[in-house]
Formats: sequence, C-alpha cells, structure tokens
Amino acid sequence: MATTIPAIEVSGLTKNYGRTAALTGLDLRVETGQVAGFLGPNGSGKSTTIRILLGLLKADGGEARMLGADPWKDAVALHRRVAYVPGEVNLWPNLTGGQAISILSKLHGQSDERRRAELLERFDLDPTKKARSYSKGNRQKVALVAALSSDAELLLLDEPTSGLDPLMEQVFTSCIREAAAEGRSVLLSSHIFAEVEKLCDTVTIIRDGQTVEAGRLSDLRHLQRTQVSVEISGNPAELAAVPGIEELQLAGATANFSVDPAQLPGVLAALAAHSPRNLVSAPPSLEDLFLRHYSDAPAQPAAARGGER
Amino acid sequence: MSTGTARGRHAPAEHLVHPTASRRGTGTLTGAGTAALFILRRNWLRLAIWALVLASIIPVVYDSQQQAFPTQAARDAYAQVANTPAVAAMTGLPYAAGSLGGILVIKIWMTLAVALGFAVVFLVTRNGRADEEAGRTELLRSTALGRHAYPTANYLVAAGLCAVTGLLISLLCLAVALPANGSWVMGASIAGTGLAFIGLGAICGQLASTSRGANSLGVALIGLFYFIRAAADLQADGVDPTALSWFSPVGWAQNMRAFGEDNWWPLLALVGLGLAGCLFALRLESTRDLGAGLLPERRGPAAAGNFTTTALGLALRLQRSSLVGWFIGAAVSGLFFGSVAQAMSSLLDPQNPFARNFVGTGHSMLDGVLGIFVLFNALLAGAFAIQCLGAARSEEEGGRLEQQLAGSLSRGTWLGAHLLIAVLGSGFMLVLGGYLTGAASQGSADPGQLAGAALAFWPAVLSMLGLQLLTFGYLPRSTTAITWAVYGISVMAAMFGGLFSLSEDVIRATPFGAIPRVPAEDFSWTPPAVLLLISLALGAAGMARFNRRDVLTN
Repeated sequence: MATTIPAIEVSGLTKNYGRTAALTGLDLRVETGQVAGFLGPNGSGKSTTIRILLGLLKADGGEARMLGADPWKDAVALHRRVAYVPGEVNLWPNLTGGQAISILSKLHGQSDERRRAELLERFDLDPTKKARSYSKGNRQKVALVAALSSDAELLLLDEPTSGLDPLMEQVFTSCIREAAAEGRSVLLSSHIFAEVEKLCDTVTIIRDGQTVEAGRLSDLRHLQRTQVSVEISGNPAELAAVPGIEELQLAGATANFSVDPAQLPGVLAALAAHSPRNLVSAPPSLEDLFLRHYSDAPAQPAAARGGER
Repeated sequence: MSTGTARGRHAPAEHLVHPTASRRGTGTLTGAGTAALFILRRNWLRLAIWALVLASIIPVVYDSQQQAFPTQAARDAYAQVANTPAVAAMTGLPYAAGSLGGILVIKIWMTLAVALGFAVVFLVTRNGRADEEAGRTELLRSTALGRHAYPTANYLVAAGLCAVTGLLISLLCLAVALPANGSWVMGASIAGTGLAFIGLGAICGQLASTSRGANSLGVALIGLFYFIRAAADLQADGVDPTALSWFSPVGWAQNMRAFGEDNWWPLLALVGLGLAGCLFALRLESTRDLGAGLLPERRGPAAAGNFTTTALGLALRLQRSSLVGWFIGAAVSGLFFGSVAQAMSSLLDPQNPFARNFVGTGHSMLDGVLGIFVLFNALLAGAFAIQCLGAARSEEEGGRLEQQLAGSLSRGTWLGAHLLIAVLGSGFMLVLGGYLTGAASQGSADPGQLAGAALAFWPAVLSMLGLQLLTFGYLPRSTTAITWAVYGISVMAAMFGGLFSLSEDVIRATPFGAIPRVPAEDFSWTPPAVLLLISLALGAAGMARFNRRDVLTN
C-alpha cells in the first residue's frame, strides 16, 4: 500500500516560541493512502506540527517533507494538493458560509460543485447565513465542506470534530472513510479514542513536543499487556514462578497480574493446573495506552534520541 | 436649564425604582435601580469620556473663534458672508453670525448634537441588543429582574449622559461669559437631540436581531434626519427655518436657536419623542422572544463569485463599505473646502498671528488657505491608507489568514492585494479631494493644479504605509499602535508645529511637513522623491521579513 514517497515525513523537528520549547524532536510518518491518528495532550505540539507542515510557522530544526516537497519553500504549490481543517475555524463575519466555502475551496485546488452540494446536504449546513450567526460546529462544517469538496491528496485535520454533535461526527467518519477509499492520505489530530480506533491505520502519540509512541494501531494493541484477575484454590503465590506473569499482586485467594499477549497461551495452561474458580481478563485498550502516555510524568521518546532540553 | 431636562427624564424613574418595589416587587420594572447601577459600573469610563470630550470642545472652539473674529466689526463682516449654501447644508442656518455665541453655534452645535446622537445610539445598543446577542441578557432575565427593568435602566443611563453633557456645555458657555439664556438653550438643545435619539435607538434595538444591525439602523436614522434638515436649510430664504425642518428631530433642536431667539418649546417635542420611542420599544419587547428581532435576518449568496475568491477580490469585498465611506468623506470635505476657501481667506486678517501660523507665509491668503486644505486632504488620505492596510493585520490576528495561506495563496500575493488597495485608494482620494476643492472654489483655484498639489503628498502617505509594512513584518503585534502613533505625531507637527514653536527644520523632517504645500509654497521634487525612496526601502524590508516570519494569530 505504501509507495516510495510518504505523504508526510517528519524527523527530529524542533520549534521554540521565545524561550518556550514547543517541539523538541518530533517524528511523524504518514504513508500515502493511510489515515494516521495524531494524539497528544493539550499543548503537546500537535497544532504547531500541523502549522509547520502548512508553512505557517518556520521550524527551528529537523526535517519535514510533505508529499515529497519542502513545506516552507514549496508552500503554495503544495497547498493545491492539500486541504486543512483547523480546530478553531475563524470566518469573515459579514460573508455567508457559502461564500467562505467558495473562497477556501478555491484555495485548495480543484473543487467539485456536485460534491460541495452533496456535502452541504449531508452536513445539514445552510450556506446563505452570515458566518456571524454560525455556532462553533457550523463554522467547523464550513471548513470541512471546503476541504472535503476539494480533490486534495492529503487532508490535514486538527481536531475537526470538537464542535460537532454525534450525528455529524458519524457523517464526518463516513466522509473520511470515503476519502481513504479514494486513496487520499489523512492526518487526523484528535482527542476522541473511539474516532481514532474507528478511522486510523496508524497512530502517533506525542508529549511535550516529541513522539513517545508510533506504529500501526494493531501493533500498538499488541504492545499492551492483558490484565488478568484470577481466583484459585491453591496458594496464589505459586503463580510467581509461572513464566510470562508480571506485576503479580495477591489479595487472599485472588491474584492480579499482567501478561504479554504473546505469552497468554502458556500462562493459561499453567493457570489451569491451579484449578481457577473465577477468571477475568481485560483485553488491551487503546484508551489505557493513550492515558498512560498522557499522564506519565516524564516524556519517554520512542527513539533513542533523548530529549533535547 | 439642562437640569430641567434631567429632572423631566428622571421623574418617572423615581417611582419605577421605588425602594420596596425593587426589593420585593414582582412587576416588569423590578430591579431597574440595581440594573442602572450595574450599567453605570460597566460604562462609567465611556460615559465620562463622551461627556467630557463633547463639552470641553466648547472653550477650545470659543477661544479660536474669538481670535479669528476679535472685534465686533470682524463678526459683522462675517455675518455678511456667513450664509452660504455650504454652511446651511453642513451646520445649519447662521441666524446669529454677528455674535460670538452665534458663531459658536455655527462652528460646533451640529457636531456636538450629532455626536451625542451617535453616543446614545451606540450606548443603547451596547447595553441592549449587544448584551442580548451575547447571551448575557438571558442570564440576567433568569434572576429576579423585571422584564422591562434592564432596558428601562439602559434608557435612563443614556438620558443621564445627555443631561450631564448638556449641563456641562451650558456651564462652560456661561464660564466664557456668553449670554445666560443662550447658554442654557445651547446645552438643552444638544441634550434634547440626544434624548430624541435614545427613543429611536431603543426602537432600532428591537427591530434588528444583531448589535451591528441595530447600530447600522440607528446611524442610518441619524443620517436621514441630518439630511432632511440639510435639505430644509438649503431651501431656506435668508435665515428663517422652513417647514421641512420640522420633519427632523435635529431640525427641532436647531429651531431652539441658542443665542438667537432662544426658544424652549421644541425641547418638549424632543423629550416627547424620546419617551414615546422608549415606551414603544418596551411594548415591542413584550411581543417578541428573547434574542429574536422583528426584522428578518438578512441572508446572503450561497456561494461567492469568481472575483471574490481571488486575493484582491476578497480584500476589496471585505473593505467595500469602508472604501465607499472614505471616498464619500474625501469628496464631501473637498467640496466643502472649496466652497469656503474664498470666504475664509477674505475674512482672515493677514496680521493675525494665529492665522499666519496656521496658513503659513504663503503667496497670498487664498493660496495659504488652499495649501492648508490640500494638507487636510492628505492627512485624511493618510488615515485611510493606514486603516486600509491595517485590515491585513486584522485578518492575521483573527485567524483568517492561516486558512488562506493553508490554501494555494502566497504571502506576497495576499499582502500585495491589501497594499494595492491602500496605495491606489489613497492616490484616488488625494486626486478626488484636491480636484473637488478646486471645482467647488468658484474659480478661485484651478482643479487640476489642486489635484496635482494633493498628489504630491502621495509619497508622504506611502511613507506611512512603508512604516506599517516594516512593523507588520518585524513587530506584528504592535504594528497598529506604532503606525497610528507616528501618524498622530506627524499630523501634530505638520498642522500645529508652528503654533508649538517647533523649528522649521524639524517640521520639514516629518512626512507631511516635508511636502511643499502648493499653491502656498513652490513645488520641489526633492522631498517627494526622498520620501518615495524611504517608503520603498521600508516597505521592501517589511515584506521580506513577513515572508520569513511565523503567522501570528491572537
């Protein structure tokens, strides 16, 4: 599926705002035709990264390539092949939503009239109203319709659903699926785990301006350990000797531990010998993965590069 | 007598805000007193500035007129020529031009009355429709506040502004020893204009559903009534008001004739219109939902035309109404300058130091006056240019530039479009203002020469734009403040430098002071050429920097 040139290839990106370091060595790779999730706590540098990719901010260090070109030098040519939806959409208050869509979609390269009409219908947006009277969600729809009605090869979406209601989120999900089916690449920055799980092939998690986890969603799931809680008739302390069981905690006849998914068959066989009376196994959840990275005290870079601060 | 006005307006308030009613009442006016205090707390600085600025103009203008017409003979001479169509149209009939009080009315009455009208319309909208639009009224209405309490308090605070402003104006007139009767009528007629527009502003706030709409409607009404009275005064034979002037509240207030006949009775009509308007607005409010207006919300096109989607087209579309406003302003002031040039120069005493400082050591008094008009015109074009290019920073600040640059628009094209409008627009304004000054001067000046003289100031305007581009590139967050500050200093130096005893060399080193004021001075190519080079250097440096810097949203 991946061609030789990735849609986005960023390595060791750094950016400072005065004395504040926003990015401290960020890596990000989006293969062509893939939907990539981009996650991180507030202020971790997601929007900064996207703005650098759009040539709105100038990186202080590191490498960034988008569709094989330099996002700063080749900005204008690149933007004909890219569409962007910001998290906070600012429109001209005295122009209508429809006028704003015309202006923005013209700037995203070729725009398709039929698709525009269809999207207005699907997102249930009245284009004759002045942007002044739009709610946050409606302003976001304007940017979404403008981006999705273009023929852009790459969609850069910065928390695009933060103002949408659940019904519109569903419309958004199906639109992104269609875009992926057409072979477009998508970078989706989001806070909604369910959305990322539904849509994304790969995920990059960043923290304090650097990448802490990146990979295919299925692989990341395997990285997580399964949590097991078991009540056995024998002495639960004997479980400590079973290979693959870690973080063992005992409470009476109950033992809680974690298992690497690869070692689960062996562990289960060993458990059977202890005649378990009750067994609860929690599969690895993405939410756990995200929350672990969101809340851990120091940022742990995925690569061996180490922090630059 | 403004105090009389105030008492008249406050009388109903006292029984509305009866202490027991405001504590335990259940009426529609419950809590109006608390609401009024709250509005005062939110607006006291704004109110104080309006009242003080409007009133303090009185002694300043009085002083300048006393210097311009120091003797009764000078005033009598002025009275002979004061009644021109331009004066009648702009400021009203000069019914008492032979007295200092009457001259004060000609010079400043209309400005003060209309300004107070704007003040109360904006104030009523700000504490009415704008609050409702922002959802603050909803929060207030959920408390134990009567339905009409907040709007009533709003109208009363605005009435208070009128009363205080009128009172201050009267007291300042008395302080400069103008006749007592006329002084009181002066304050009362200006306050009365404000009171009448409170009623109209209140109705506007009910009709429109946005604060912008309410303000536009209110401003349109002020304009309409201003033009009705202008038409009435143009029709007048001599200095007697015509029947048409009774179709405008501004006309009613004018017909009180401060320092002339000193009529009190039109004040009743003004107060009556204010009261009736407020009561009608309260009635309208009872018939509609919170947040809704009575006029339908205007819709717009569902898609933009091809031109609007270009950088230049969008910039022009965003600035459309502002451009039209500035061009009309330049045309009207050009026509006005031209029509008064001859009269003004024949009135100014060449020995008067004030006049000489102002007009300069020109070839003749007429050329001096024309030269100062050319400078006025250039200053106007400068303000336009700065405001026009400032729209670029507003686009960046408001986060709208990001989305355009995220599309296939280069920074140079985008900034170039805004710059082009400011550059060509200011050039057009200069030529327009200069040409019309000449055209309206009834042969005392050559329109072509004045258009050229005005255009000579183009490099001065461009130097302001150059500075603006430079600061936009290097100090985007303070570009607006820096540019306006430098413009303000340049204006002061060019206009009043002589009065402040600034040396000629210093004045010549400022952009607007450097350009020779044709026809008062001989033209020289050096100052405009040097300014043009400076502008280009500043502008190029600023644009180059903008191409390299981050886009800074607020």
